[in-house]
Amino acid sequence: MSDPDEPKPDGGTASQPEGESPELEDHPLEWDEPENNDLAPDERASVSRPAQKDDDPKLVTGQAKYTADYETQFPDLARAAVVRSEILHGYVTDIDASAAEEMDGVHAVLTPWSEGTPDAKYTSAGQSYPEPSPWDMTVLNEHVRYVGDPIAAVAAEDAETARAAAESIEVEYEEAEYVLDPEAAHSEDAPRLFEEDEVENEIVGHDYSRNRMAHIEGEIGDVEDAVAREDVHVHETEWETIRQSHAQIEPHTTLAYTDEDDRHVLVTSTQVPNHTRRQLAHLFDVPIRDVRVSKPRVGGGFGGKQAMVVEPIPLALSIAADRPVLYEATREEEFHAMRSRHPMTVRARTAVTEDGSIEAIDLYALSNTGAYGSHGMTVAGNVGSKPMPLYSKVPNARFEADIVHTNTPQTGAMRGYGAPQGTLALEGHLDEVARDLDLDPVEFRQRHYMEVGDLDEIAGMMGGEGAERRIRSCGLDECIERGKDAIGWDDVEQPDEDHLHRGIGMALSAQGTGVAGDELGAAQLMMNEDGSFHLHVGGVDIGTGADTAFIQIAAEVLGCDEEDIVIKSSDTDVTPFDYGAYASSTTYISGMAVKKAAEDAKERILYWGSKLLEEPESNLDTGDGTVYSEETGASVSLEEIGYEAAYGHDEREHILGKGTHCTEESPPPFAAQFADVTVDEETGEFEVTELVVAVDCGVAINPGMAEGQVEGANHMSYEMAVSEGITFDDEGRSEVRGFDDYDWPTAAETPTIESILVETHEPTGPFGAKSVAEVPTNTVPPALSNAIREAVGVRITEMPITAEKINAALEDDG
Amino acid sequence: MQFSLTVNGDPTSIDAAPEEDLATVLRREGYTGVKCGCDGGVCGASKVLIDGEARMACGTTVGDVDGATIVTIEGLGTQDDLHPIQQAFVDHFAVQCGFCIPGMIVQTKALLEETPDPSEAEARAAIDDNLCRCTGYQKPVEAILDAAERVNGDGAVATDGGTSPASTARGTTEDGGESHE
Repeated sequence: MSDPDEPKPDGGTASQPEGESPELEDHPLEWDEPENNDLAPDERASVSRPAQKDDDPKLVTGQAKYTADYETQFPDLARAAVVRSEILHGYVTDIDASAAEEMDGVHAVLTPWSEGTPDAKYTSAGQSYPEPSPWDMTVLNEHVRYVGDPIAAVAAEDAETARAAAESIEVEYEEAEYVLDPEAAHSEDAPRLFEEDEVENEIVGHDYSRNRMAHIEGEIGDVEDAVAREDVHVHETEWETIRQSHAQIEPHTTLAYTDEDDRHVLVTSTQVPNHTRRQLAHLFDVPIRDVRVSKPRVGGGFGGKQAMVVEPIPLALSIAADRPVLYEATREEEFHAMRSRHPMTVRARTAVTEDGSIEAIDLYALSNTGAYGSHGMTVAGNVGSKPMPLYSKVPNARFEADIVHTNTPQTGAMRGYGAPQGTLALEGHLDEVARDLDLDPVEFRQRHYMEVGDLDEIAGMMGGEGAERRIRSCGLDECIERGKDAIGWDDVEQPDEDHLHRGIGMALSAQGTGVAGDELGAAQLMMNEDGSFHLHVGGVDIGTGADTAFIQIAAEVLGCDEEDIVIKSSDTDVTPFDYGAYASSTTYISGMAVKKAAEDAKERILYWGSKLLEEPESNLDTGDGTVYSEETGASVSLEEIGYEAAYGHDEREHILGKGTHCTEESPPPFAAQFADVTVDEETGEFEVTELVVAVDCGVAINPGMAEGQVEGANHMSYEMAVSEGITFDDEGRSEVRGFDDYDWPTAAETPTIESILVETHEPTGPFGAKSVAEVPTNTVPPALSNAIREAVGVRITEMPITAEKINAALEDDG
Repeated sequence: MQFSLTVNGDPTSIDAAPEEDLATVLRREGYTGVKCGCDGGVCGASKVLIDGEARMACGTTVGDVDGATIVTIEGLGTQDDLHPIQQAFVDHFAVQCGFCIPGMIVQTKALLEETPDPSEAEARAAIDDNLCRCTGYQKPVEAILDAAERVNGDGAVATDGGTSPASTARGTTEDGGESHE
């Protein structure tokens, strides 16, 4: 159980001793990295090449197997359907499931009172242990807190029967008062969502008498002192973000059964197999070893599957029905009963001298965590701890957040993880300050932002072991220069029509790479006698191409062809431990574990090469599928080594490598975003003609895949700027029931996105890599707000940016 | 009820209720390349060619397509011999999780039959109801434009979906029904 007195704003274990300043020697600039890490680009054989994605042939031919595709392998497979709360808040007083139970083809019905329904408290958040989210849920609920809370579940012979049975179940409620607005919910006379005894594993700063699940804060320097100075301008702005849906195309899907050894097996679309295994063992009160979680192809996650959202229900049903059960969330459930991005109000305040020196930055976030607290505190922590360190040279900084419950659907982890909300506030705010003080917005930022060698204390101001960090790679200058060139920053032509105005806006962003001090990845490598390899890795490919990156890293070390490596990832019975695919950690953490496993195997390969070539190992290296001598030019193929090791006369060995990686580091990747917009001042209509985003991700292990990550993230970020997200009617019911209600930019509505990869070398990462997937998710809302400000002089602070809001602001101005 | 369909070149008789949606029926028959991402007819993941036209199988009842010729993603190239459209998607890194990709590729095939040399705007319009969450649309659009060149270019598409050395005919057989059994 976590210590409730210690916040863990990064999702990490927080034990930064109070009053101690970070020791410089703990954060050296020169990093003792392996010799092979810092290869020049032309010395790399596999890394930095746009290698074909390993699973592409099966993906483009329809042969890839996602969870639902296993249906044909289980002839007695039952389908699940879930009865969900139709009221916002209240208590289930009676359930009449008799009609469902009598229906032909129904195999099991579970209610909160059934013997087979787990009744332990838990959190759906798939995070490290002790878990930094409150245990405030049960699998099926008597006390329901949002429209969509699960109440009962059915397994039947087919999906139609299951749905019909679920619909036949009658639920009686005692309704309670509800609250939808987070500010209203945070007052002491608001309806309460939780009684104290309804929550275990409570989080720092919780106060359920006012619906607060957590309060966090941190400071370096003295912000109030700086703000009170006479030589500073104090600026304050407030920003609002949408409730964004992950909208991954594959719904949450789980297939559960119990095997011949009485072990529970789940094939499931998850980002966190190992956390899910641990959480299921807790819920079902069985040893961890008796749960197997296996991840097939995953149809997108984006944080929505960094959670145990659906798995317990099909498992409980499969035990009750004594047969395999498949549960696929409907798209309607995806929008109202799975997870979403936390909507937030973020207030930014700065103290800036007349000549543009930022003396203090102060952010406050009010986060609406919805009905339950999954990822509530950790996401809110990142509102400050990801964007604020960008300005590491600012001497005084403070961040504070309240995370409150409302009777709205559950929120959770989502790509960017709080950073998009904070980045909008900070980058929009600084742009406004620069305009007020008549400063160039880029130079204003450049005076304060990170550079190599900086000791970043802001990242650690809320605690979090190892969160203070030395910046060892930073490509911000190049990101800005190349981004400016690409968008035509210095040469903005205005349209011929007088009522149209063009403007380019920019914003910067920093993220992290993994959770400092709270990550673990592991891998093992087995050599076959023909010189090929099996790579087993706990790291989780949810469609990003992580498996391919792992193969490239291993091939680079082993000096073999990528095709000679067969990968198996993310099956808790087979692959080593891994925290899962989140926090931009996969390539950095799990990839480093792969690198270590490959280096471990390579040592043994060189030993056998030395025997066969009769030369000392120190002369030898691997490359082109051989072990060769740099001294004599002699070589022996990996295949010959494989056979010799397996079938040799005097000595035999199965060549195995293992690697485990955890770290106190979390180096930031950087992005510079540019948005080119033309606004009609008569109507407020606007057209975004181009988005350019330049990203410093260290060494891109696979530039083609990295660009795909950048563009996909930027598309998601664009949606956050211009779409409504999940909205509610006056009674608090979700208005979004399907993709056609979810107003996101389609192919024809999306501007051209140009991605630019800026290569730096991050010494703590595998072959110089840091993360890429999240940082471009943060930047379009502020860049577009800034562009519109540039074009027509009005400031939109509440997302989404719409023609109506621009028009209203123009009218106010006029 | 029995329905007669020609799926990927093979005439088959399928037992289904007439109101069942075609995606469910095809998946049950093993064509699991047909994906379902929504509650019906919106996301584009289930697109198949029905008598040459790209339609969402989940929004189509089997009763409405009795006697039709259907091509699913399984009817294009194989893993060892990708169709040029499939190869273009691979080469442009247009594929991440891949869940939307069968529908996207099937839609591209229909587009190129009709509009062999699409503009970027036409390519975007064609996949306007093919929702992708991973990659966005930049790389898929680039892949479509490149696929058009490959299909039109120096090699016609062979019946096996590979690039044939012959440069006479452009495109595919009339029903698009290359079979890969």
